[in-house]
Amino acid sequence: MTMLPERAPGAKKLGLVIDLDTCVGCHACAVNCKEWNTGGEAAILPDYDKYGPQPDGVWFNRIHSYETEEGGCSRTVNLPRSCLHCEDALCVTVCPTGASYKRLEDGIVLVDTDKCIGCQLCAWACPYGARELDEKAGVMRKCTLCIDRIYDENLPAAEREPACVATCPSRARHFGDLADPQSEVSKLVKERGGVDLLSDLGYRPTNKYLPPRRATIPSAPAEAPSHDGKGLGAALLKLLDKALSR
Amino acid sequence: MRPAASILLLTTATGFGFGLLAWLGAYAALGLLPPEAPALLIAGIALALILASVGLLASVFHLERKERAWRAFTQWRSSWLSREGVAAVLIYPLAIALGVAFLRDAQSLWTRLLGAATLVGSLGTVYCTAMIYASLKPVRQWHNAHTAPDYLLYALFSGAVLFAALRTAALGAAGPMASVAALMAALACFAKCAYWRHIDRQGPLATLASAIGLPKGTAKALDAPHFSENYILRQMGFVIARRHAARLRRLALGVGFALPLVLEVLAGLPVVPLTSTLLALGCAAVGLLIERWLFFGEATHVAALYYGRPV
Amino acid sequence: MARTTCYMCACRCGIKVHLQDGKLRYIEGNREHPINRGVLCAKGSAGIMTAVSPARLSTPLRRIGPRGSGSFEAISWDEAMSIATDRLAAIRASDPNRLAFYTGRDQSQSLTGHFARMFGTINFAAHGGFCSVNMAAAGLYSVGGAFWEFGEPDWEHAKLFLLFGVAEDHDSNPIKLGLGRLKARGAKIISINPVRTGYSAIADEFLAITPGTDGLLVLALIHCLLEAGRIDTEFLIRYTNAHHLVIDAPGAPDHGLIARDAAGRELCFDRASHALVPAQSLGTDPALSGSFMLPDGRYARPAFALLAERYGDAQYAPETIAERCGIDAPTIRRIAAEIAEVAFNQPVVLAQPWTDTAGRHHPTMTGRPVAMHAMRGVSAHSNGFHTCRSIHVLQMLLGALDTPGSWRYKSPYPKPIPCGSPPGRAHIPGGPLDAPPLGCPRGPEDLLVDEAGEALRLDRAFSWDAPLAIHGLMHMAIARAYEAGPQKIDTLFLFMANMAWNSAMNPGETTRMLTECDEEGNYRIPFVIVADAFASETVAYADLVLPDTTYLERHDCISLLDRPIGSAHGPADAIRVPVLKPDRDVRPFQDVLIELAGRLGLADFADDRGRPLYSSYADYMVRHERRHGVGPLAGFRGADGLALGKGAPNPGQLERYIENGGFWKYELPEEQLYFKHANRAYLTGARAMGLIDDDAQIVLQLYVETLQRFRLAAEGHARPRPPERLRERISRYFDPLPIWYVPLEEAMTDRARFPLHAITQRPMAMYHSWGSHNAWLRQILSENRLYVHQDLAAELGVADEDWVWVRSRSGSLRCQIRTMRGVNRDTVWTWNAIGKRAGAWALKHDAPEFHRGFLLNHVISEFLPKQGDDAPHSNSDPITGQAAWFDLTVSVEPCAPESPAETSPRWGANPLRIRTTPEDAR
Repeated sequence: MTMLPERAPGAKKLGLVIDLDTCVGCHACAVNCKEWNTGGEAAILPDYDKYGPQPDGVWFNRIHSYETEEGGCSRTVNLPRSCLHCEDALCVTVCPTGASYKRLEDGIVLVDTDKCIGCQLCAWACPYGARELDEKAGVMRKCTLCIDRIYDENLPAAEREPACVATCPSRARHFGDLADPQSEVSKLVKERGGVDLLSDLGYRPTNKYLPPRRATIPSAPAEAPSHDGKGLGAALLKLLDKALSR
Repeated sequence: MRPAASILLLTTATGFGFGLLAWLGAYAALGLLPPEAPALLIAGIALALILASVGLLASVFHLERKERAWRAFTQWRSSWLSREGVAAVLIYPLAIALGVAFLRDAQSLWTRLLGAATLVGSLGTVYCTAMIYASLKPVRQWHNAHTAPDYLLYALFSGAVLFAALRTAALGAAGPMASVAALMAALACFAKCAYWRHIDRQGPLATLASAIGLPKGTAKALDAPHFSENYILRQMGFVIARRHAARLRRLALGVGFALPLVLEVLAGLPVVPLTSTLLALGCAAVGLLIERWLFFGEATHVAALYYGRPV
Repeated sequence: MARTTCYMCACRCGIKVHLQDGKLRYIEGNREHPINRGVLCAKGSAGIMTAVSPARLSTPLRRIGPRGSGSFEAISWDEAMSIATDRLAAIRASDPNRLAFYTGRDQSQSLTGHFARMFGTINFAAHGGFCSVNMAAAGLYSVGGAFWEFGEPDWEHAKLFLLFGVAEDHDSNPIKLGLGRLKARGAKIISINPVRTGYSAIADEFLAITPGTDGLLVLALIHCLLEAGRIDTEFLIRYTNAHHLVIDAPGAPDHGLIARDAAGRELCFDRASHALVPAQSLGTDPALSGSFMLPDGRYARPAFALLAERYGDAQYAPETIAERCGIDAPTIRRIAAEIAEVAFNQPVVLAQPWTDTAGRHHPTMTGRPVAMHAMRGVSAHSNGFHTCRSIHVLQMLLGALDTPGSWRYKSPYPKPIPCGSPPGRAHIPGGPLDAPPLGCPRGPEDLLVDEAGEALRLDRAFSWDAPLAIHGLMHMAIARAYEAGPQKIDTLFLFMANMAWNSAMNPGETTRMLTECDEEGNYRIPFVIVADAFASETVAYADLVLPDTTYLERHDCISLLDRPIGSAHGPADAIRVPVLKPDRDVRPFQDVLIELAGRLGLADFADDRGRPLYSSYADYMVRHERRHGVGPLAGFRGADGLALGKGAPNPGQLERYIENGGFWKYELPEEQLYFKHANRAYLTGARAMGLIDDDAQIVLQLYVETLQRFRLAAEGHARPRPPERLRERISRYFDPLPIWYVPLEEAMTDRARFPLHAITQRPMAMYHSWGSHNAWLRQILSENRLYVHQDLAAELGVADEDWVWVRSRSGSLRCQIRTMRGVNRDTVWTWNAIGKRAGAWALKHDAPEFHRGFLLNHVISEFLPKQGDDAPHSNSDPITGQAAWFDLTVSVEPCAPESPAETSPRWGANPLRIRTTPEDAR
């Protein structure tokens, strides 16, 4: 059913917290996601023109880089972009078939590819560009938050996290229950001032992004040169004068 | 947004079909249809349903998995696309019932009630179609107060032009429909200009900085995730050159609205009414296709922001 | 599921490979593995597509068309091995040095190097000469370890991290994990790099330095610290040679050498006893300044005094160097102050007692939490050796070297300075060299030069051209083989090195040299064997192609004898195991090399009767012993599999590795984790494990006496002496204290004509030249652009996606630009090795890599401009021979509007065309 579910009290809100302060833009999450969801030649996520002029394919996660300027500070920001599992997921409500749905129990937005007719309206409804059409199977694909990993009891508990999180080399990606204020992800969001992308559009994304920050080292001003530029400075001479013990 | 031929055909053909049906319903409801010419109504209903069917069929061609199209009727509670499907399907029995009632008694209460229902149903279907686009928040050129009324107006305009031609063909004269069609052309033209004025003055829906979660700063795209165009860029990164758009706008206004207006006035005078109404119909069809192409081609999707493209 | 080691780049991460119905299903990081702890980069995850790449070679090939045409016939392995064996046997019988064996990003150098040694050729090297030899040599001669392979920052304790010139493909997962830790801990990261991408993107402070000036910046920081008296003098006298007395007798044959007593012990001046005492004596108060009379009446000065005098000079003041570096003086002074603040006011004190080599007991481990790391941006300049030395000197002055919070040695380092044997030169009976072909010269006497002082080696490593070329000069191999002619080199044997394309400094010239014939139609380089898994650009230039497997189809060992996976926490090594069965007629190169060695009857590979000793690489990995008890794999040795490092071969060793996840590691006890160069428990333990031969303190070399020995030879005080033409050069660059000079090519180029620096880096998602045949990775980058500062672009009148000409003294290329802010104003850069030659890598003829990708190499030259009558020098560091890729200077100008929208130069396509005979088809 494509009506958005009323969130039951105590229901989980699973999602990602992505640290833009730490993401180096290496594409590891994107490729491991592709790999997990494709399985080599099994072609669940298709590729088109693999070795030709227009190499392309379906990816759940894509990494952009930007140059930003904020408060006189310019920097390069890498942004992994994927489904944010919005609370007001327009991609769900526009779906005419019920293929697109949001799970009651954990808020994950999924596509039932057995029901999808490939009308692509959901892709249009998503401001984040998170849904890509599988042009081979004719159905819409999107991030599943690795639902086939996070609930797989055959996996050790520590590995029950999305592939992108498990593989992220700079540990810029965090997974957890954002409905639980005590969860690590909720604490990160609180401490670091996690933000929504395109918050004005009102989709209320579950995934949060932690903005870049700047560590500083308050230090005493460097000492002014105490010599005429020739020979050793007074401070050094004083230091060298001290008795040492080998 | 990429103007897909199937969708252009869908929205324009159903516009003509449901527009015509709306006028037929209105005439029937008001008892204005000449009972001595049942063929006009029957032919009108048939033509309207054929056009609607062509449009709906075209929309099925837009689907990747056509064999599953039936599933689209299930989610009418939330999805405008589903509602459009349901409404479109409900129109058929309604329109046929109207035809039957009319043949029995052109002025009966049933005929009038069914006429009114057909009018409401037709416009309702068009409204559903419009709302598919108007509800898409990421597209500022669609998600606004113009889209739904405009779609209704264009449907009424195209229906009027079609009805005028049909009436002329059946009865030798367009009657009041020529004036109605001319009026609708003027209104549609006005609405389109107002729409363009609106989208031209609209600010962008969001900035790149807010798209990447840094609303207080500024941002410039450095590197995209890929070099080849992907699905998102093919669908939502389509940008039409401003100069090209301006030319097409003039063409749409001239061919789509101004010429039909003049031709309908001629038909109403009446000067070569059949030729005029048929020409008006042709112009309206071509013009509306251009208008619809622009409706998509000029629409920008906020997701393209991530690629540094203007929205 | 199998656990093995990744080879999508040089990191050697542990991976878990999942199969489904015999096919690859999923590759993920191995959480137990010490290198990557479960994470895996884009390349590693894309390994699954490399395993199905159409560019994989599928059969041995013999050239039938002209060299470079791509025309081959498929032959059997028997035939291929016979051809190779016959050729190499003939060479060996005449002059083994006529085999030049060069390997690329080879992770089996302990095998390939040993093959070369047993074959008896001095002409062996791997890719280090164009990668990191400046870092390796500067590190090994200064601190007995090095950035990259032999050291790592203390990610858990550093509070300030300085990252010099690290390209974003470097040290993939370990550095990302580390940066993530620093970020999580709120440490400050300063990136000194002309380009702000990748690691630099997340730096808290980015200094867009002018390429080639890092050394000057470091010396200015040293200047500020000296000026402010912010130096760890205790660290200097205990762990470095700062207090060693340097003979001050200009013109004397021992000027600049360390003063020694009769027993050969270095001397210092003890202020307590007012006497010259052995520098390593305990309980002394060594002088760091002043001038002291030696018993022979001459004077000597502490090395530190020379250093302080040099860098205290105003020529190293931030104000003097700011403009050249492109970083303003107040910023340099502030950073010096921040370094001093963290080092001296925020020390890290670990409650961990330890005992130093002098027997002093320390209740705690106190560290200066300023960590540094440096790589390509420092390395790939012709002043890189000294720049890297400058950084090590800065570390020593701060006492921030293998202490908590600073840069640390990775096991098996530190090693005594200089480490290992000098390069082999003489043939012992039976043909092998007396030592491995690559080694560390201790002075001019160890150089491989003839009577006239000219190079014995093909690439002129260990000659006066590049005395400390400890990794060889692979980038010169083809040019020198061409120059020398068939009398000197018969066969060029290349393994996974793309020498005809992105690994050549000048692909145009290189391919010309490979294809040029004499009047009789014989190739000037008579025979070329290429071993590779993929159809690289170089394969087309082979006479014989030995197709290798992919990394998922073979055994391998990541050995302590080569570049292991050890960390600061202890030694470790790893294996690869075959996960897939090859579906084509290919064989692991290491197996092939061992068979070849067996067929040739090489010592250590064949017994006295010439029978092969090893059936495969896996067999060799287990049974080969380099020294008694020391083999390729250090773990699970001895009959019971319990011996650490040293022990008898264990037939069940590989099984033990497999059970253990494909690797072995030994966690050092806490008391051994820092101060390894002087930590008694560590050094004793490392010796017991066979990591080092001597457990004496490794005295850090603030002042490198070895360099002075070369200089003295150039000044006529020692033998052998450099040829006349090189004397001034040796004298100038072999300074025992770091110097800074304008990179050689830059200094010889008209900067008015070529005002911009041009550099490259590999993107994080690519490695080697391998990204482009990977169906996923090439979706990320199938084209490249020249990145230009937006202000420079505005000045040039160009905008994003415009086409420009890039011109250098040696060529021109056409490409498209992209503007950015995060780049040094006078520097342009691009992604390396995205541009491919049409026909290579099994890409379709219209692939964007061919017509919208480009290589900056087309405008680089492996030679410096010719000066006077002398032959031009190689475009390399004068000390180490490191290829100076980053010294390039260019001009950029917009293309005419009618200019074609494709990159230039473009060469004709030469895809492999393979004739198969019916026999082979069967």
